[in-house]
Order: sequence, then structure tokens, then C-alpha cells
Amino acid sequence: MDGPAVEVVNLTKRYSDGTWANRDISFTVRSGEFLGILGPNGAGKTTLVRQITTELIPTAGSVRVFGIDGASRPNDAKRYMGVMPQEAGTYFGLSVRHHLRIFGKLRGLSGKMASQRADELISELGLEEHRDKPAEKLSGGLRRRLLLGIASVANPPLMILDEPSTGLDPEARHNLWRLLRNAHQLGTTFLLTTHNMSEAEALCDRVGIVQRGSLLALDTVGGLRAAHGYEHKIVIESDGGVETIYGSDDRELVRQAQSRGIRHYTVAQTTLEDVYLGLTREREPTRLQ
Amino acid sequence: MDENTARQNLIDLDGGSRATGIGKFASDAVSVFELNFLPAVKTWYLTFLLASASALPWFYVTRAIAPDDPQAVRRLMAGTLVFGVTFSIGLIVGQNAVAQRFTGSLRLLVSMPMSKGSYVLGSLAYSSISGTITVFVLLGFGLWSGVGIDPAWGLAPSLILAVLTVAGLTMFVVGFAPSLQVGNTAAALLSLILAALSPVYFTMEQAPVALRLLGYISPLRYAADSIEKSLSGRSDVLVELVVLAGFAAATMALGLWRLPWREK
Repeated sequence: MDGPAVEVVNLTKRYSDGTWANRDISFTVRSGEFLGILGPNGAGKTTLVRQITTELIPTAGSVRVFGIDGASRPNDAKRYMGVMPQEAGTYFGLSVRHHLRIFGKLRGLSGKMASQRADELISELGLEEHRDKPAEKLSGGLRRRLLLGIASVANPPLMILDEPSTGLDPEARHNLWRLLRNAHQLGTTFLLTTHNMSEAEALCDRVGIVQRGSLLALDTVGGLRAAHGYEHKIVIESDGGVETIYGSDDRELVRQAQSRGIRHYTVAQTTLEDVYLGLTREREPTRLQ
Repeated sequence: MDENTARQNLIDLDGGSRATGIGKFASDAVSVFELNFLPAVKTWYLTFLLASASALPWFYVTRAIAPDDPQAVRRLMAGTLVFGVTFSIGLIVGQNAVAQRFTGSLRLLVSMPMSKGSYVLGSLAYSSISGTITVFVLLGFGLWSGVGIDPAWGLAPSLILAVLTVAGLTMFVVGFAPSLQVGNTAAALLSLILAALSPVYFTMEQAPVALRLLGYISPLRYAADSIEKSLSGRSDVLVELVVLAGFAAATMALGLWRLPWREK
């Protein structure tokens, strides 16, 4: 049986100013899986990712990447992961092709292989028109594609992406998702952080929800919805605002709304956003009486 | 998937020809050199100007102060070499380190399977272009203007050790910088202050008492002493080189320690 791609055990990070960024987080990323870590800004997602990529030394706990301990063998662990950091900058004045070729060499490819991979990636990422352009002249979406190319230049079996679509317009975001899906279909394991519900729902096999440094839940989107307890919701719009009421039976929700004389409402399935808000707001959702 | 299967996945891409060990270390240093060098090719004249402008006027002015004393002129040239080379290399290493840290490009390198030693070596190799130009411009100007120069073997190691010392010190200092602006200013000021407070343009005997005390603990003074001797064909520079090697080892260790690679 295949082992996990990433194994995080009791991971804890406390900064020198006393801030707890991660508390006792444990989970695994299965080989071939697309795992999303969802959480609000400041929840500790980036700290978690930086510890997995070995950039940040944990206060306690351990991270293993394909069985390799990240703390004692960081460079061995990094050989197997491509990383797209959230706030990574490119090299001023350096062209797209040079970025891909040089970072290919830094991943251990020979000069010839790195040049070949750079050309392949330029084509795969749709950067043909921009191959000789300095990276700083690219738009936000194109620069994200370049960073994705740098992360995937050596065809790593694991890709770790920290909020890859932040700041992208809808078209650029969907283009990025298409590229990620293609790589996933070819067998790459993904660990992605996001605060975008639709991104998590569109891409991830399983989603973990992080808040205040703790992992509150981890399951498939369906599993999280089931754990939420209510499969349906009715959204009632009135002069007083919008009210969302959850229930297990959509027909019962409609019947009760009509019996109260409510005429304007929308019935829908519970979404990941409902689960997320339920967990992170730390209060019980309104339910049907 | 275990480590072996993961490795097999990587090997599928290139037939397992990936560099490891010393070969990888050297290749990484070359890649870091390329990252810095390729964008600078288009503006090569700026590198040339920095290398020349930081050193030549100093030498020109100081040459005018004591034109009839060959020993004093050689000392001025030694001081100008020390100042010019360490200033330009310290500035480039420091400003590159701080710029890459605050613009996020260092994070891309940190995510690569490479050591920070190869990063430092590649950065030093790139900044050495400027230092090498400084040396050739100054020596050429000195020969052209009739300074008696008879370079001995100690010249190159003295310059290299002085460069390592100042580069290590600069990396250590800019490692504390809270912002890009502070880091850039610190990188520029460090070599200037170090050269200004050290007896590099004159000997220890000529220095005021306060500077003489600083001279004992200033690496640049040992570099200037060694270079002055080397320029006049003397080889008795072992003591200076040993002291400089100690400074270089200590400051490079501090600089590497402070370089934000794996953060706590």
C-alpha cells in the first residue's frame, strides 16, 4: 500500500512574541490527492505551509514528505516538492525563459534538460508570447503562471501552493485551475491553501478548515456537509434583511416557510461556505423549528 | 508513495542525471550567479561605472596629496584598492541580499533544494565582477601614472580575504534590517564607515591614537598593510593573511548564520 505524500503530526508553531500560529495540527495528504486547507486571513495557513516546505522550523511536532523528515533532511524533502509561495517575487530584469531554465537547474536538472523543460512549460502555460519578457512586465495572472512553472519545472510528485489565485480576475483564476487540474490528472499530489470556497470546491478531494491555528475539520466536501448536519437551506429575503435557515428536508423547509406566509425565498443545498461559516463563526446555525 | 517511488517519478523526467553533492553545490552557485548576472548584462555600463567611480576619484585625489613619496603613494593605492573593492562588493552583496529578501525572490530560492552556502558563493561571484574591474582600473591607472608597482603573490589572497570579511559582515548587518530602505542604507554605510575609521590610506604609525586603537581590530587595516607590501614586491604578509583569514571565517560564519534561510 502506498504511504502518504505528506504526514503532519502534532505540528505546533509559537513565535518568539508568544503568538500561537499553529496548535497541535495533524493530518496526512494521500498520494495523488488534492487537499485544500481553507481558512480566513490570519488563520495560520501560510505558517502551516512554510513548516511543511521546511522554510520555517516548527516549535513542536514533525513533518514527513514521502517519509523524509523535513527537520533533519530539508533539502532531501524539498527535492520532491514544488512550492509556489504566496508572496514570492520574481527576479527583476530576468526573462520568463531564463527563470524557468535557471530554476530547473537549481532543481538539479542538467542545463540541456532545464532548457528543454523551460520551452515545454512556456508552451503548456501559454506563455509563448512572453518568453523573452522580463518577469516584472507580466500581468498578475501571467506571473502566477510563471511561479507555477517554476514550482513544477522538475515534475515534482508533490506541489504545495499557498493561495495561488489571490488577486486574480475570474478568467485568470479559471485558467490557473485548468492547469492545476491537468497536473493532478497526471498524478501530481497537491496541497493548496485558500480562503476561496469555490476554489476549494472546484479543485479539492478533501478540505481542511483552519482557524486560529487549529485544524477544525478535515473531510471531503460531501463529508463536511454531512457533518454540518443539514443538507439543505432556505434563504429568506425580507425588509429586515436576509435570513438563512437550515434543515434536512428541502420540502419541509418550503412547507414551513409557506405556512408562515413567506413568499420570497430560495431553497438550495448546503454549501462548503455554510459549513465553513458554521465552524468558524463558532455558533449554531439557525435551524427549522 | 514512499521516498523510492517519489525518486523514481523524478528520474522519469531526465533519466536520473540530476546533480548531487559538490557538483550540485557548484551548479547552484553558478545558477545564483546567472540570476544576478543576466539581468545586469543590459546595464553593464552601470557595473563598470560603480567599479570605477567608487575607487578612482579617491585614488586621484589622494595621489595629488603626496605625489613625490612613492611609499605614500603605494599606501594610498593599497587603501584605495581595499576601499574600492570592499565597498563595491559589500554594497552589491548587501543590497542584493536585502532586495531579494524584501521583494520575495529569496523565498523562491529557499524553496529549492540548495544550501545557503551556494547562494552566498553565487552572489559573491557575481559581485566579484565589479571588484575585479576596480582592481584592473586602479592598477592600470597606477601604472599609467607612474606608480612603482611590483605585485607579489599576496595581493590576490589579501583582496579575496578582505572581500570575504566585508561581505560576511554586510550580510550579518543587513540580516537585521527591518525594511528594504534600512538594509540598503546599512549596506552602503558599512564599508564607508569601516574604511573611514581604519588606517587604510596611511600606516598605523601615521594614524592618530584613536584610529590606531581601531586599527588593531579593523580587518581593512590588515588588508591595506598586506596589499601595500604586495604592491612593492614583498612576500612577508603571512601574519596579515592569517589575521584576515580569521576575520573572514568569523564574519562569513556570522553572515551565513544571519541569512534568513530556515527561519525559527
